[in-house]
Amino acid sequence: MRKRLFAAGAFWSAALAIAASLLVCLFAILATGKNPLVGYGYMIEGALGGLRPLGETGIKGAVLILTGLSVAVAFSVGLFNIGAEGQLIWGALAAAVVGRAVDLPGPLLVPLALLSAAAAGALWGLVPGLLKVSRGVHEVISTILLNWVAIHLVHGWLISGPLAARTGGEHISVAGTAPILAAAHLPRLLPDGRLDVGLPIALALALGVWAFFRHTSAGFEWRAVGSGAEAARAAGIPVGRRVCEAMAVAGALAGLAGGLIILGTEHRYPGVFRTGYGFDGIAVALVGGGAAPGVALAGLFFGAVRAGATRLQLVGIHPSFAELIQGLTVLLVAAPRLFAPLLARLRGAP
Amino acid sequence: MSALWAALAAVLDFAPPLLLAALGGVLSERAGVVNIGLEGMMRIGAFAAVTGAYYTGSAWAGIAFGALGGAAAAAVHALLSLRYRADQVVSGIALNLVALGLITFLLESVFGSAGVSPPVATLPRDRFGHSPLAYAALLAPLAMHFWLARTAAGLRVRAVGEHPRAAATLGVRVLPLRAACVLGSGALAGLGGAALSVGILGQFDSRMPAGAGFMALAAMVFGKWTPLGAGAAALFFAFADALQRQLSFSLRAADLHLEGVFLALPYALTLLVLAFGIGRTRAPAADGVPYEPEGR
Repeated sequence: MRKRLFAAGAFWSAALAIAASLLVCLFAILATGKNPLVGYGYMIEGALGGLRPLGETGIKGAVLILTGLSVAVAFSVGLFNIGAEGQLIWGALAAAVVGRAVDLPGPLLVPLALLSAAAAGALWGLVPGLLKVSRGVHEVISTILLNWVAIHLVHGWLISGPLAARTGGEHISVAGTAPILAAAHLPRLLPDGRLDVGLPIALALALGVWAFFRHTSAGFEWRAVGSGAEAARAAGIPVGRRVCEAMAVAGALAGLAGGLIILGTEHRYPGVFRTGYGFDGIAVALVGGGAAPGVALAGLFFGAVRAGATRLQLVGIHPSFAELIQGLTVLLVAAPRLFAPLLARLRGAP
Repeated sequence: MSALWAALAAVLDFAPPLLLAALGGVLSERAGVVNIGLEGMMRIGAFAAVTGAYYTGSAWAGIAFGALGGAAAAAVHALLSLRYRADQVVSGIALNLVALGLITFLLESVFGSAGVSPPVATLPRDRFGHSPLAYAALLAPLAMHFWLARTAAGLRVRAVGEHPRAAATLGVRVLPLRAACVLGSGALAGLGGAALSVGILGQFDSRMPAGAGFMALAAMVFGKWTPLGAGAAALFFAFADALQRQLSFSLRAADLHLEGVFLALPYALTLLVLAFGIGRTRAPAADGVPYEPEGR
């Protein structure tokens, strides 16, 4: 359905788009009278220079890989999941609630909280799938609407009202929900920095998604639905069912991403939670060419950009510069014909 | 009950940004180009308006800059989705991402603050506290309805949104017309952003437009892609927003922390109308479908 998003040479288009985007941003920094090379130097240092920065890249990369996979899995059946943000929010909330309320030892509580996060995301992801199949509601619109329902219900009501931590009697904390139990914290992997088991989990799931599409008949059916619903239906594939399954899995992956953030670094559902990771997942999926290995690479790359961008403050540039780099890359990847002549020449050269 | 009246009175304050941006969505989508980038266009328009007002000292010049800023952002969407055949949804999302990072970057570069811009000149207000822009926004749905329904240009726009090939055989140049509508859509969204920054707050806030572009999108869908419907939906959503603010002033409602429920309502209602609504809710037939002039 959206096959032409991922034309041949996806890797090189993505690499070119990233390079072009970094170049444009270099001139943007130059225009403000700052030294872009120093800025980029700080970014590289902030992303890769030591265990601590690598850990930041890893935890951000893990979340981006999962939301990227979420979007990519929905793409496989031809659906555009713009709802990863909402699915992530419900997943994060579920992890914060279970991680607080259930008194179990860590080896049981962590998986339980992560599974609850995935389940909450799956339910929220299933809704646009069901609406699409049973009522013909376009998933782009329904997922956008559901994002905002989730954002407002969770941030404007649950977190500031019923689920807010109470500090001494009547007062409601603005810091978010009560902290999760120590047993629910994700185990950290390195002596220094915050890298936790989230990254191995995300990479294992990327491998799992890859194997699922490559080696299972169910994966083949999903892709068949994505290439053409009518043909798939004629071949006896229950299209509606597959669409709903894929949306539930997409939601589960995004919900899990939310769970990783809460159990790994936030340790509560924070009062101000502007992640944008769900929207970034669209960028990761597109730049990653919609396939699991590409998504993993793109997720790690944008994780590094996000981690490095926090250091840009040292040269007086806001960390949201990462969004500019990311957005420009997507703009450039989105227009396959932009690079087509250049790519053809590169390929045609002996 | 007093909250209800106060909310009704405040609708005209909250509605213009939503109204203008929702009409922007209608214009683009009726011509067959999906515009998820309304949020980004509003953001760029809001910032351009404040920057324009700051350097010229005139609020009206700022409003004009806002429209131009929105149109410039829309030009990127038009170029990518029409000239380079990018997926229209992707192009709009990318525009939102770029607007998020770019405007924060510019806010810091131009005004030296990542939070808010300095205050700028504001529009004149009548004795009810409303600016001429608010009244213009109120009339805009009627004007666009008349234009789409009764003029030859409006008919051409509807034709390229429903059946571009048929329009082309009648001599309508599909892609230039679509591009013009996308630019107009951006100008309207930019005006909406300007109404938010210069019109309401008198300065730019780094969080603007805080989802107003998506609410405009919801209003467009709720209003079934028609100017009058989208206008009515925008007014209704603005009323819900105003009521929510009024209620959070009154003590008992603040204790319940129900702001989020009110804010979620427009989106949930739109979803319900889409799923179970009475009457036909459908997008223009060629909405989001790229047009290939050579007919492949």
